[in-house]
Amino acid sequence: MSDAVLPAIERPRAQPMGESGLVKGLLIGTALLFLTAFLFLPLITVFLEGFRKGADVFFDSFSDPDTMAAVKLTLLVAAIAVPFNALVGIAASWAIAKFNFAGKNLLLTLIDLPFSISPVISGLVYVLLFSAHGWLGPWLIANDIEIIFAVPGIVLATVFVTFPFVARELIPLMQSQGTSEEEAALTLGASGFHTFLRVTLPNIKWALLYGVLLCNARAMGEFGAVSVVSGHIRGLTNTMPLHIEILYNEYNFVAAFAVATLLAGLALLTLVAKSFLEWRYAGELAASHRH
Amino acid sequence: MLIPSRRKLTLGAAALALALSFGPALADKTLLNVSYDPTREFYKEFNEAFAADWKAKKGEVVTINQSHGGSGKQARAVIDGLDADVVTLALAGDIDQIANKTDKLPKDWASKLPHNSAPYTSTIVFLVRKGNPKGIKDWGDLAKEGVAVITPNPKTSGGARWNYLAAWAWAEKAFGGDETKVKQYIADLYRNVPVLDTGARGSTTTFAQRGIGDVFISWENEAFLVQKEFGADNFDIIVPSLSIKAEPPVAVVEGVAKAKGNEEVAKAYLEFLYSPAGQKLAAKHFFRPVDEAAADPADLARFPKLELVSIDTDFGGWAAAQKKHFADGGVFDEIYRPTN
Amino acid sequence: MSVAVTVKNLTKSFGRYPALGGVSLQVEAGELVALLGPSGSGKTTLLRAVAGLEQIDGGQVFFGDIDANQLTLRERRIGFVFQHYALFRHMPVMDNIAFGLRARPRKTRPSAQAIRDKVSELLSLVQLDGLEARYPSQLSGGQRQRVALARALAIEPRVLLLDEPFGALDAKVRKDLRKWLRDLHQRTGHTTLFVTHDQDEAFELADRIAILNLGKIEQIGTAAEIVRSPKTSFVEDFVQDIDLKRAPPARDKPAARLSLI
Repeated sequence: MSDAVLPAIERPRAQPMGESGLVKGLLIGTALLFLTAFLFLPLITVFLEGFRKGADVFFDSFSDPDTMAAVKLTLLVAAIAVPFNALVGIAASWAIAKFNFAGKNLLLTLIDLPFSISPVISGLVYVLLFSAHGWLGPWLIANDIEIIFAVPGIVLATVFVTFPFVARELIPLMQSQGTSEEEAALTLGASGFHTFLRVTLPNIKWALLYGVLLCNARAMGEFGAVSVVSGHIRGLTNTMPLHIEILYNEYNFVAAFAVATLLAGLALLTLVAKSFLEWRYAGELAASHRH
Repeated sequence: MLIPSRRKLTLGAAALALALSFGPALADKTLLNVSYDPTREFYKEFNEAFAADWKAKKGEVVTINQSHGGSGKQARAVIDGLDADVVTLALAGDIDQIANKTDKLPKDWASKLPHNSAPYTSTIVFLVRKGNPKGIKDWGDLAKEGVAVITPNPKTSGGARWNYLAAWAWAEKAFGGDETKVKQYIADLYRNVPVLDTGARGSTTTFAQRGIGDVFISWENEAFLVQKEFGADNFDIIVPSLSIKAEPPVAVVEGVAKAKGNEEVAKAYLEFLYSPAGQKLAAKHFFRPVDEAAADPADLARFPKLELVSIDTDFGGWAAAQKKHFADGGVFDEIYRPTN
Repeated sequence: MSVAVTVKNLTKSFGRYPALGGVSLQVEAGELVALLGPSGSGKTTLLRAVAGLEQIDGGQVFFGDIDANQLTLRERRIGFVFQHYALFRHMPVMDNIAFGLRARPRKTRPSAQAIRDKVSELLSLVQLDGLEARYPSQLSGGQRQRVALARALAIEPRVLLLDEPFGALDAKVRKDLRKWLRDLHQRTGHTTLFVTHDQDEAFELADRIAILNLGKIEQIGTAAEIVRSPKTSFVEDFVQDIDLKRAPPARDKPAARLSLI
């Protein structure tokens, strides 16, 4: 996945295999057709549905307190889960890429776990742990701590599901960069922290940003795991994706698609931010990769 | 340099405000009603009425939070610790599950309120496309070749079990109690189901929004709601010769309500369902009120008269019906083979 | 500035694989010693152990009379040059060379002006005047390695350690740089240990050569000594193609050299 941050200018300009114009056109045409049919059209549909009954109805959808609560909850969950996963992701990637230790492969596998199991199961794991009859349930009840069917449970499930994004971006990059720049910095007398700040971090910042953006998009959009632990209490434990489903099931299609538009808009904004940064810093990016 | 730092400050303040706004609500009392799918619209209006009534009587502000979903799934969440003060589910069996698996509910919860703790009833009817192009008149028509039937999965949906039992009751009468023929009929019916959704609302959307199927076996209130939401000129309601009396029960989850200090208000909330105001609202939202005198006659007139069987007298109660038909290895498993 | 390096009975193993089996070595102040051997002979491990980049299992390293085991990496003040340069890819040449000086605690950190002056001085020493603003990716391999050397020299190291410094360069550039390094060493007089697997390089550059095999030093001596009287059959085999004419002429004791830093 990390090659997504590589700048386009690195790619060879010449046609490597010299395909004929027809083949080239056919390939490009197929790709465009696919993108239009499977990505662009559905997205347009979301926007059109949202505005089907006019802009007034669209904006009215957001005056509903339950909808606002869902938007706020989604932002809150992302605001906790994303920085947490960025920090832990950096630490885990650092440990895996720069050191050799027993159990390293196990750790690598564990990092992939949230990707490889269904989000529903991720949610059920937390139900097993924290529900009234779960392992920790009786203790939590005795101490009056609410986790499942409350905001902490939603945050936990989101953290779990979105954990791999940052680490998965960083590990291959840090492994390919090796440890010699850090070793050079250390022999030059830099402290460990100084080395991290001035050498490691600048080298991974694009991959880190990319991972954080993906992590954020998923944190705001996660449905399965959150649905299992949410309890679906209107105005309290419904995130935007859950609220969209509820609105849809209440035949409130305009409101459902209005919220969906907001969610899709946030995702698009994320991608635009990423593209802008890549374009703005293309030179620096190229310099740091052509080495 | 001043502007960015100020912006940072505003952002920080916004984040703080956001975090604070998730603190406990300032209402004096907060109730959580965990309910099933088709009651959303009814409880939305009922909750406002109850809050106003409680405020007038006690001077206390009460906020009612709602959680909706498939009846079985909701019961599971309460068992797992969802802090419901009251449950208002599709069938007694689901509340029995909560009473069996936790000590939050007494086993005899059904006797705490009148009419087996069911303040409103409903029945099962058919919804067809305008003009009834397939000529559906009664249960027998649903098993005919070329008829696409929409109903949810009885393994997961409370409403779907009522559908199934209503069909069974009709067939038992039609075939004079010959169980082989009854089973054959039920098997033929489910062979006509192209999409087996997990909940009643999912099936409604499949039929009404996505336009799949010729006939939708539906809660009566859901059928009326579809006509209201999607236009009465798009769908016709067909009332079969015989159906089942569905009694969606309610109960105070005493363990939770007591812990939250909500016992009194939770009890009052459910009793308010039986009050003239509550009964009137139920009728308005297409549930058959137990106290017809309280309802608007115009609302009552919408409910057709038909022969209704009862789960208790005709099927020996929920526990027996559940065991025979829907448990793993029961009749439904025996006859239902997904085709595709 | 330069000090003698003494290695006493160094041992190190990776898992069950012994990389160094009790290596002892004495390098005089200002001397240039090559560690020569096939891959897997332990030469790089020895160099990294002296630098402090590798934890050792046993033995001691002395810089002059200071026990290096007591020093942190920062206190060792090692000038280490890596085979693949290890330049900081996101920094221009100026910042690369200044890195070690800027990383010092505030008390001992030179002023910004002093750092700039030092960087220009070093750039002219490695013959890269005026390239301060270039990024590593804009330099040739030979230029990069000279930047790496300047960066290592900036911290006024006790000892210069070079790990296959020309290993990644093509043959022509290697030869030029060899001569250039020889001259530089002549002028600056740093005690230098460098690792190579190239016999020509070792014999052409070094005052003395240590030949390693399987984690042990087989023989240490001047080029002439080794070629004329190889002590083991491994050494005999290893140096049989060496043309002695290319070895550097015997030189005076290094102490008399001009000290740049």
